[in-house]
Amino acid sequence: MSASASPAAAAAAPSPKRGAISIRGITRIFAGSVPAVDHVDLEIHAGEFFTLLGPSGCGKTTLLRMIAGFETPDEGKILISGRDMEDVPAHKRAVNTVFQSYALFPHLNVEQNIGFGLRMKGVKTPERKKRVDAIMEMLQIGQFATRSAAQLSGGQRQRVALARALVNEPEVVLLDEPLSALDAKLRNELQIELLRMQKRLGMTFIFVTHDQHEALVMSDRIGVMSKGKLEQVGPVLDVYEKPKNVFVAEFLGLSNIWPITSSGAHSAASPIGELSIDAPLNGANMAMIRPEKIWIYNDTAAPKDRANLFFGTVREAIYMGAATQYRIELAGGHSVLAFDTNNQATERSWRPGEKVAVELKPDNIMLISP
Amino acid sequence: MSATAQTEQEIEAGRQRLRLWVTSGPGLVWIMIFLLIPSAVLLGIAFFSADDYGAPVLPFSVQPFQQVAGYSLLGWDPGNITIFLRSLGQAGIATLVSAALSYPLVFFILSRPEALRPLLLLFIVLPSWTNQVVRTYAWLELLGPNAPVSWVAHLLHAVPPDLGLAPGSFAVTTGLAYNYLPYMIVPLYASAEKLDWTLVEAGRDLYASGVRLFWHAVFPQTLPGLLSGIIFVAIPAFGDYVVPQLLGGDKALMIGSLIANQFTETPDWPYGAALTIIMLVFTGMGLVGFRILTRKLGGAEEATI
Amino acid sequence: MIPRGVRYALSGISWPLYALLYTPLALVAYYSFAPAPNEAGHSLHAYNVLLHDGAAFTALRRSLILAIGSAITSTALGTLLGYGLCRFRSPNAKGVLAHLPSLIIYTPIIMPSLVFGISELIFFNLVHNATGFLSAGLETMIIAHITFQVPYVALTVYARLAGLDPYLFDAANDLYANGLKSFLYLIIPVVQPAIIGGFLLGITLSIDDFTISFFTAGPGSVTLPIYIYGAIARKGISPEINALGTLMIGTIITLALVHFFITRHRDRAGQFAARGNIT
Repeated sequence: MSASASPAAAAAAPSPKRGAISIRGITRIFAGSVPAVDHVDLEIHAGEFFTLLGPSGCGKTTLLRMIAGFETPDEGKILISGRDMEDVPAHKRAVNTVFQSYALFPHLNVEQNIGFGLRMKGVKTPERKKRVDAIMEMLQIGQFATRSAAQLSGGQRQRVALARALVNEPEVVLLDEPLSALDAKLRNELQIELLRMQKRLGMTFIFVTHDQHEALVMSDRIGVMSKGKLEQVGPVLDVYEKPKNVFVAEFLGLSNIWPITSSGAHSAASPIGELSIDAPLNGANMAMIRPEKIWIYNDTAAPKDRANLFFGTVREAIYMGAATQYRIELAGGHSVLAFDTNNQATERSWRPGEKVAVELKPDNIMLISP
Repeated sequence: MSATAQTEQEIEAGRQRLRLWVTSGPGLVWIMIFLLIPSAVLLGIAFFSADDYGAPVLPFSVQPFQQVAGYSLLGWDPGNITIFLRSLGQAGIATLVSAALSYPLVFFILSRPEALRPLLLLFIVLPSWTNQVVRTYAWLELLGPNAPVSWVAHLLHAVPPDLGLAPGSFAVTTGLAYNYLPYMIVPLYASAEKLDWTLVEAGRDLYASGVRLFWHAVFPQTLPGLLSGIIFVAIPAFGDYVVPQLLGGDKALMIGSLIANQFTETPDWPYGAALTIIMLVFTGMGLVGFRILTRKLGGAEEATI
Repeated sequence: MIPRGVRYALSGISWPLYALLYTPLALVAYYSFAPAPNEAGHSLHAYNVLLHDGAAFTALRRSLILAIGSAITSTALGTLLGYGLCRFRSPNAKGVLAHLPSLIIYTPIIMPSLVFGISELIFFNLVHNATGFLSAGLETMIIAHITFQVPYVALTVYARLAGLDPYLFDAANDLYANGLKSFLYLIIPVVQPAIIGGFLLGITLSIDDFTISFFTAGPGSVTLPIYIYGAIARKGISPEINALGTLMIGTIITLALVHFFITRHRDRAGQFAARGNIT
């Protein structure tokens, strides 16, 4: 087969899809410190909304900057749409970035800011004007066209920054915590808007954030980073429901985590007592359950025949509108965190001091590594 | 792999160094050639002997420094010490005067509407942009023997009838304070502008009188600006040339004129260079002293290159 | 913040101080309108004399060549210097070498101008004796003026660049601008006000200076300040000198005010619109 393959045939071979990113063994070490990004492998599919999630200093921004071309990896390769980016400088990559500070040019007005990339690429005025107008229309910022960046509010600047990236029709859009400077209401609005734009344009979006809620809301898939390494990559639901380890479980939402020692095929000893667990134990030594997966009963009304039923006393009840978060101290002195939705709050709620029973269903208990 | 990573970074660092030198090199080299080397030469000359025309010749000698200290063929003469002390005194008084005038001016500007403040500040700085000679000789007209101010001084028996307030020490001090006032105002304004008024409000309950309130709640906060201002005024005032030359006359000779004379009227380069070294040592000590003081007082670091 | 009584006191002290600042300058102007010989009343006689004073005009021409020539060169050198230090200096460089640029930049600012001037005098003298080049004259004055202007221009440009969002450079790069295009389409336009400011500052410093000019000038390079100084030393203050001084003061004050109101108007327009929009 290889004998018959001519160079022409090889060139015609189906190339990986436009906007797919392949990161292989990427490492970046800043002089005299620990690696900021440490041998990261990651495949990002064409057209997906991918989020890099992690605490500040975990290397997510450095990874993003390497994809953009602002930083050069010390080791490893980055392929965008199948093309090795090693010798491609930032200004030649079909990748555009929305910066956390927006980085709008102070000497240009909105229209000129958005058109900057096209102008640098040599797109002539009538065509440029058409495309800039179209994107301004789409993002509803047409009425600010001749204002300078300093004259815009935070949300408007954000839209301009987004328009400035999207107008170039890049293969990949990189977003570095673009919503972190906005207030909560505006942030929610723009999250939805971003998502709508991404689905409509079909571009690959890589979104960097430290906000787990934002990551859950927006992403097709997320990658959780810590200390320069990717801890877990997967669809949002998988990562949330089946975190691989303690870091991911704790970073993404609240959780109850206990060390366990297996005492049978489907049972293990834990600090709160013997637990039945559906998943095969295979020598796992940590168990996790999300608070919303815990059922709460009045102690007298608890169904006595269930597995993993524990009795205790409510110590804290934090009313959060849609749900209430309870801290329940079990008989042995350990606490569990549990959520209960408030769809019947008037009938079903508990006050501190009340005796309750909690049920941890065996199929809801996940095994994780430390 | 890590070896190549190391070299990659080194190459990038090398590129960055090259860019740095291509852009900032010309300016830095210019200053080095046309100021650092010349001033090093000037200082070096202090260690030579002088020939009959005052030019430096070998052998090396400490005679210039002996001259500075006042020793000559004619024995010891306190003239130079007097001039040094007078320069210090006049620079000191000028600094005090400009500081004393700056406080009311700065707080006056701050008490005006924000939109007006830059203009009010500009009007303080403006005179210092006109030429040194013009704005200095202008004081001769105000303080000279026939000027109204001198009549008043005469009536008060402060000066003899045929002499005005200029030339003389009073005119020099006035001229120095006038010349360098903006150098005091600008840093003081910068720190007064950032004043934390909540501290002043808090102090209002503690201190009964306005003077004590100012002294305990306002003054400490303006100290960094004041200290910078003192440096910016005292150093150039100490070595000023134009003001004592135009307003000093013969009786108020200052170190600047003394040095300049060794290079113009009666050349003696080594002696002049030695005088320069002594002057620079004095200013250097002042500078270091004030820096230490500023640090100790926790003065705000200025934005510097 | 400031109690009413204190404010009145401050006004009471400050307005007379403002008046005092301008009294000497006003006197120069007043005496420039001295009566013509054998006549009474104010006149423009001194200005008329000045108009026919060839030496003064030559000095004016030299002053302008000196100011503009040195300011152009120092703006070029200083802009590059400020730009380079802001953009390309390694943030974690340590030791003497890392501080060297700052030391070099601050030397001309800190050095008393007398020492500055005498250093130049000796240096140019030695170089001329050794090589025959750089005899004292307009040429050496321009070199000296460039030397004291460069740091001020560099600091002005540096301050502007350092105050910018550092991601602007990445953003330009990200939007398909290579190094040269970034320089042309981002850095030059953004830094332009600082460059113009630096240039004007250079001219102001050049016109203000006497000491350094005095020690670097040659017999054939009398500029306005040296001309005035010489005239006062020879025959005291004359109405013509006052007329010349008045013209210098008037020009500087007018230019400064014009510059102030132009830049201020531009800034304020921006600020006003910004304030109106943030709701």
